[in-house]
Amino acid sequence: MTDASVSRPPPLLDSRLEILKKRLFSNWFDGIVTLVAGSALVWIVVSIVDWAFLNAVWSEAEASRCREVSGACWSVIEARGRLVLFGLYPSEQHWRSTLACLVIVLTMILSCLPAMWGLKRLPALWIAGFGTFVILMYGGIFGLSVVTTEQWGGLSLTVFIFAGVFVLGMPMAVGLALARRSKLPVIHWLAAVFIDTVRSLPLLTILFAAAVVVPFVVPHWAQGDKLGRVIVAFAVFYAAYQAEIIRAGIQSIPSGQEEASQALGMSYRAVVFDIILPQAFRNTLPSTINQVVITFKETSIVTIIGFFDVTASASAAVGRGEWGAYYVEIYVFVALIYFVFVFGLSRYGAYLERRTRLHHG
Amino acid sequence: MADQAIKMRDVTKRYGDFDALKSIDLDVAKGERVVICGPSGSGKSTLIRCINRLEVHDAGSIEVEGVELSDDDDAIRDVRREVGMVFQDFNLFPHLTVLENCSLPRIRVRGTARADAEDLARSELTRMRISEQADKFPDELSGGQQQRVAIARALCLQPRIMLFDEPTSALDPEMIGEVLDAMVALAEGGMTMICVTHEMGFARKVADRVVFMVDGRIVEEGPPTTFFDAPREADTRQFLEKILGN
Ligand SMILES: Nc1ncnc2c1ncn2[C@@H]1O[C@H](COP(=O)(O)OP(=O)(O)OP(=O)(O)O)[C@@H](O)[C@H]1O
Ligand SMILES: [Mg+2]
Repeated sequence: MTDASVSRPPPLLDSRLEILKKRLFSNWFDGIVTLVAGSALVWIVVSIVDWAFLNAVWSEAEASRCREVSGACWSVIEARGRLVLFGLYPSEQHWRSTLACLVIVLTMILSCLPAMWGLKRLPALWIAGFGTFVILMYGGIFGLSVVTTEQWGGLSLTVFIFAGVFVLGMPMAVGLALARRSKLPVIHWLAAVFIDTVRSLPLLTILFAAAVVVPFVVPHWAQGDKLGRVIVAFAVFYAAYQAEIIRAGIQSIPSGQEEASQALGMSYRAVVFDIILPQAFRNTLPSTINQVVITFKETSIVTIIGFFDVTASASAAVGRGEWGAYYVEIYVFVALIYFVFVFGLSRYGAYLERRTRLHHG
Repeated sequence: MADQAIKMRDVTKRYGDFDALKSIDLDVAKGERVVICGPSGSGKSTLIRCINRLEVHDAGSIEVEGVELSDDDDAIRDVRREVGMVFQDFNLFPHLTVLENCSLPRIRVRGTARADAEDLARSELTRMRISEQADKFPDELSGGQQQRVAIARALCLQPRIMLFDEPTSALDPEMIGEVLDAMVALAEGGMTMICVTHEMGFARKVADRVVFMVDGRIVEEGPPTTFFDAPREADTRQFLEKILGN
């Protein structure tokens, strides 16, 4: 005798509810925890929606209502958002900062395309991109008025520092990682000491030294610009960490790869750039993306040595009495900016991983 | 003199105070096929790796196609262009397609234009009967297929000498045949070949000479008929019994 209802598989929805019920309400203690956590979650979501949307004031024109409502005062972004995006950059020149920022973002996006990865193409792209950025931001030619780096600020400064650190730091990291596995003991040893020294110092100390100490010890002609020094110092810091990531990647490549390329008669340069480094980067993609994301967020530390990046501009934007009460709104705005960039970076990382895993098995 | 492909005189190789090669003398004529065999650790790999300077010998002299191997990087590069090598575990480049594996070294080493290098690669892949896999990545191929790609990759540089270090030892038994067939075809084309292998059927069929090594020395050498049917040394007899016995 067979029972038809037993042999038939239960409908999918039912079985999912079954599983949920089992996981969330299997005994009275689980049940209470589920109820408490569930209502807390609902309360949080409702409060946020309430604050951010339902009771919010949106335009600057209605700013006077801000004191009456319980929700967010988004008017502050319309009123002070420019300061966040541009810092102290002269307001009639904001178009230059906007354009420069787009140029750098475009340069970084282009660098991410595999078609651009060449020993000639990449440097050419970076020189063109950074050259355009500096001309736009600094001016002094093509009838553009001069804006010194002390006046640079906001989002374009953040993006510029990040791009500069990455573009200087990545080749440095490759050089350090290769030096570290050099067969010449002196080079190997120097690279190791350099990397360990830099990693043992806090970033803040390094940046302070570059910004404040260097002018006292280095002759004037060799000092360069304060922003330039800070970017170079930051790049050195990034390179020390990235070099270790690359080194780990190189170590994970079987020695047969190098032997096979040598046996084919390939030069050191070809072995490194065509065989070793592509595999080293592929093997360490998640940690590299991680390091890049950390570096992007850490650029906000330049605030402390007097640069008005997005974060610093944000606190300046609400610092004055009139908008002082609405700092949360401004920081939410800044957080969204960071989120867009970091999310973009990690999506790109995921794309690269997918792309290379297809070739990996 | 001119028809000598490889000339090794009194070659010694040490790892610390262990002598991996002890005073090796070996001449290989152009077009000659030499099979090297011997027990594990006897120095077979070390010997053929000295020929393209993957290992640096400590004493004696090695001449390849008339070029003496020394610290001169240009000479080493010249020699490596003329000497192709196939490894036990293939060592294909996993981040490149089969076609790129074959064409990239050619482009980098001989400066050939990409299109020409790819044509050449396709024809070598066809010779190895694996041209239909040209756009796959190495890990999508079977071991036998990978090893045939590795042979094609070496051939793309149009070497005059081919070295094989146990090319079939890492293969499943059913794939050994396809690789040996490719090597036989290569031998019939007149390539100078030195193969470390324990495939005695292959040695009988293809080798002009079999070289037997024990403890870093060449103990016995001769044409396959004499070597297999009337070995002189006790070591050789013992080794052959072990190899052929199972
Ligand atoms: N890099 C090295 N450092 C120290 N000893 C080594 C090194 N390479 C090889 N040897 C030693 O040299 C000897 C010869 O090694 P080789 O690899 O040439 O032997 P083989 O005849 O190819 O053996 P197998 O059949 O196992 O491949 C072995 O005893 C090995 O332990
Ligand atoms: Mg060996």
